[in-house]
Amino acid sequence: MTRALWILWKREVGAILHSPIAWVLMTCMALINGFSFSQCVAYLGQGVKEFTVMQIYFYIFHFWFLLIILVPILTMRLFSEEYKTGTIEMLLTAPVLDGDVILSKFFGALFFYLLLWIPSLVGLVIFQSVTHHAVPIAWIPLGFSYLMVTLVGMLYLSIGLFASVLTRNQAVSAMISFTVIALLFFSGFVSYLVKDPGWREALNYIFTLEQMRAFSAGLFDSRPVVFYLSGTVFFLILTRQVMAGRRLNG
Amino acid sequence: MIQVQNLTKRYAGGEAVRGISFSVEKGEVVGFLGPNGAGKSTTMRMLTGYLPATDGQIEVAGAKLPEESLLVRQRIGYMPENVPLYPEMRVEEFLEYRGRLKRVSRGEIQHRVGLVLDQCGLTEVRKKIIGSLSKGFRQRVGLADALVHNPMLLILDEPTAGLDPHQIRSFRELIKELGQDRTILLSTHILSEVEMVCRRAIIINRGKIEASDTLANLEKRVQAGALQIEVKADPASAKQKISGIAEVSSVVELNRAGDWISFEVTAAPGKDIRGEVDGLIKKENWPLREFRREKARLEDVFVELTQD
Repeated sequence: MTRALWILWKREVGAILHSPIAWVLMTCMALINGFSFSQCVAYLGQGVKEFTVMQIYFYIFHFWFLLIILVPILTMRLFSEEYKTGTIEMLLTAPVLDGDVILSKFFGALFFYLLLWIPSLVGLVIFQSVTHHAVPIAWIPLGFSYLMVTLVGMLYLSIGLFASVLTRNQAVSAMISFTVIALLFFSGFVSYLVKDPGWREALNYIFTLEQMRAFSAGLFDSRPVVFYLSGTVFFLILTRQVMAGRRLNG
Repeated sequence: MIQVQNLTKRYAGGEAVRGISFSVEKGEVVGFLGPNGAGKSTTMRMLTGYLPATDGQIEVAGAKLPEESLLVRQRIGYMPENVPLYPEMRVEEFLEYRGRLKRVSRGEIQHRVGLVLDQCGLTEVRKKIIGSLSKGFRQRVGLADALVHNPMLLILDEPTAGLDPHQIRSFRELIKELGQDRTILLSTHILSEVEMVCRRAIIINRGKIEASDTLANLEKRVQAGALQIEVKADPASAKQKISGIAEVSSVVELNRAGDWISFEVTAAPGKDIRGEVDGLIKKENWPLREFRREKARLEDVFVELTQD
């Protein structure tokens, strides 16, 4: 990590934590997470034995709904606000590389995104203590699940960052990233519908929900890792290109 | 300190800057003058490495653009138009952040921030949130930001825009003071600002440089201001006699008060007719109660050079 990146990252995290959006998001996340978790527990209470509580948690509708909504709200202001208020000019006339600016915003958002998932872990801790550790925590599936949460988050955040550099209007930026992320997420479900096995396999490759199911069961697959990482790099590079292009036109 | 050759900036919509060339030497305080939309901000943004030039060579603070952009940015202090700042940060915190970003070392940062806080009169508001500051203070924060890494060159885009007369006055004093030991290029469309602060002006209009000279030389370019005299004499013959002086281009009667009559006498461009007019008055023995010359002002130069 370069020195400039570190300084920029600290300011990004500071800016996120100083914005009201951050605290509203955290509160809403904790609320929905708690609701979602209690539903998982209720489901287990019906005598379900095939799944652990975290497997249900990561597969349940609330989780994905939250993820798709959350990222656009988190990323919409990253560049849009800098372009709107003109601070981008101040930022880019300091001796820093465009890449440092983009990465600092990306890692700043990623840091906060990961913070937002902490309440779900708290839920697990409470669950374990209430059940007197009836079922020991399966650490590897749990680790894989959060790895998947991180990977999906990275790709979605890079899409959000890209949408944010396109416009100075935060609402427009949020709508663009929401659309791209939602399309990407829901296109996986098309694999249930197509008959052609080639297409089905191709769609399965981007089927986030199924990948998550495998990961939360402790099955590691390197293909999604490559997909999310390369997708993230792709959108970060695209962001850099748009940023340079915007400067060409003043 | 700044060398610009054939600098051009083309947008999809047209040309903002059309092949301008100029230079600023070390230690100069130069005013970059022009009407709104003349290309001042675009030029300054190119000098700071923010906008890429379409064509031309730029050398700023001993480094070439765009090849050595980081070096240029480290050596200059730039205050953009409208002074964009992060409103949620505190003044001191913001300056520390900016200083560190501009490569002021950890050991030096406290000292530098303290110095610019003091220099820009911000010490009393150092703990305040930028968003709660008045426009004048925010402008000072912008200047402190430009100064925090002790740059050899300051580029200020409309530094006094939007300030009240008191703030403008103290801001100019500050710039004047800063100009004693560093090079400054400042843009403005307020002429009195240039007259007070700068020794040289570059006048730009519609993306082209119309003039670049010291203020004294610029003022010589336009007709020296008219001479106003008030004498006791016969109007018709006085007017005829004054018009008879070789270098006088026009004589206009302004008004009469009893026997007193006042004239506005205009000389041919670049000529001084004060001696001749005085000689005539003495020769004719006209009683005299007013004799003054309007100084040619930068405003006249500006209007003449930038009118359509």
